Amino acid sequence: MALMPKRVKHRKSQRGRIRGNATRGNRVVFGDFGLQATQGGWLNAATLEAGRIAAQQYLRNEGRLYIRVFPHKPITSIPLETRMGKGKGEPEYWAAVIKPGTVLFEIGGVPEESARMCFARLAHKMPVHVRFLKRKTV
Amino acid sequence: MAEVLNVEVRNTRGTRHAQRLRQEGGVPGVLYGHGTDPVSLKLSGEQVALMVRHGSRLVELNGAVSEKAFVSELQWDTFGLEVLHIDLVRVSEDETITLEVTIELRGEAPGVREGGVIDHVVHQVEIECPVGVIPEKLSLSIKDLHLDGSITADKLPLPPGASLLVEPELVIVTCHTVAEEEEVTAGEAAEPEVIGRKAAEEGESEE
Repeated sequence: MALMPKRVKHRKSQRGRIRGNATRGNRVVFGDFGLQATQGGWLNAATLEAGRIAAQQYLRNEGRLYIRVFPHKPITSIPLETRMGKGKGEPEYWAAVIKPGTVLFEIGGVPEESARMCFARLAHKMPVHVRFLKRKTV
Repeated sequence: MAEVLNVEVRNTRGTRHAQRLRQEGGVPGVLYGHGTDPVSLKLSGEQVALMVRHGSRLVELNGAVSEKAFVSELQWDTFGLEVLHIDLVRVSEDETITLEVTIELRGEAPGVREGGVIDHVVHQVEIECPVGVIPEKLSLSIKDLHLDGSITADKLPLPPGASLLVEPELVIVTCHTVAEEEEVTAGEAAEPEVIGRKAAEEGESEE
């Protein structure tokens, strides 16, 4: 099942704007390699789950996968063939707000070659451009 | 051997000047320590990139300042591609300093063949070390790591004269089996609970 919060303060949120780059969550912290977004956007909870499944199937219980983002934002939509007005639509799905530079996934305990292959499969499912990232040693 | 960095004194301050310097291929930096006044420096971007690639922590400054320095901190841009600023601390050969060193795992653990997964829990440890023997990284062999086993900080190979500043029982790496993920039935996703809203109100809104 796709990720979503257990408790929220408000059922619906405004759209907002994605401004600037990520100043936090932009380094590899838990694993050895990471997948970093180079574009901003919304990452659907279902897409995040699809990425997780793709990575887990490739890794086959080798190494460890970390998901660094969480879909906190409720996205609403108005049903088809509905006249405009009559208030905001109902929550449809949950999304993570991605700023350029955000690390989406991390992998630890596998060689670099495997991590690259795994992230290449995962990157196909992402709605934003991504790049491979290594942990900084200095 | 310490990396040699050519430095110039930087008299200009502020974001705009720093940005201009970076556009020209330089890296702004600062040198401090030993109770003397800090000096703002201008370094070559190429030399800094080379230093980072080699993983050097100790550098020999040449030019406006001629002394040994320890790379205390590097500031990176959002994507981790370029160094924005470098912090250098004055050190002398006979001094002992505190630093964080990266741990690198070496070898293949037999626990993996037994069905386990390597979990590198701690990636960096703080050590106290004489300046002359600062390691680039600490190589930890995991060739004796079996399933459900772990390696603690006291097994780390330290350079002569160095000491650990973390708990010796701190677990660095473990090998364990992967917990089976719970299969959740894909049904109608329930809405999360709204904080502060009573159950009666929720019932009304649904109707």
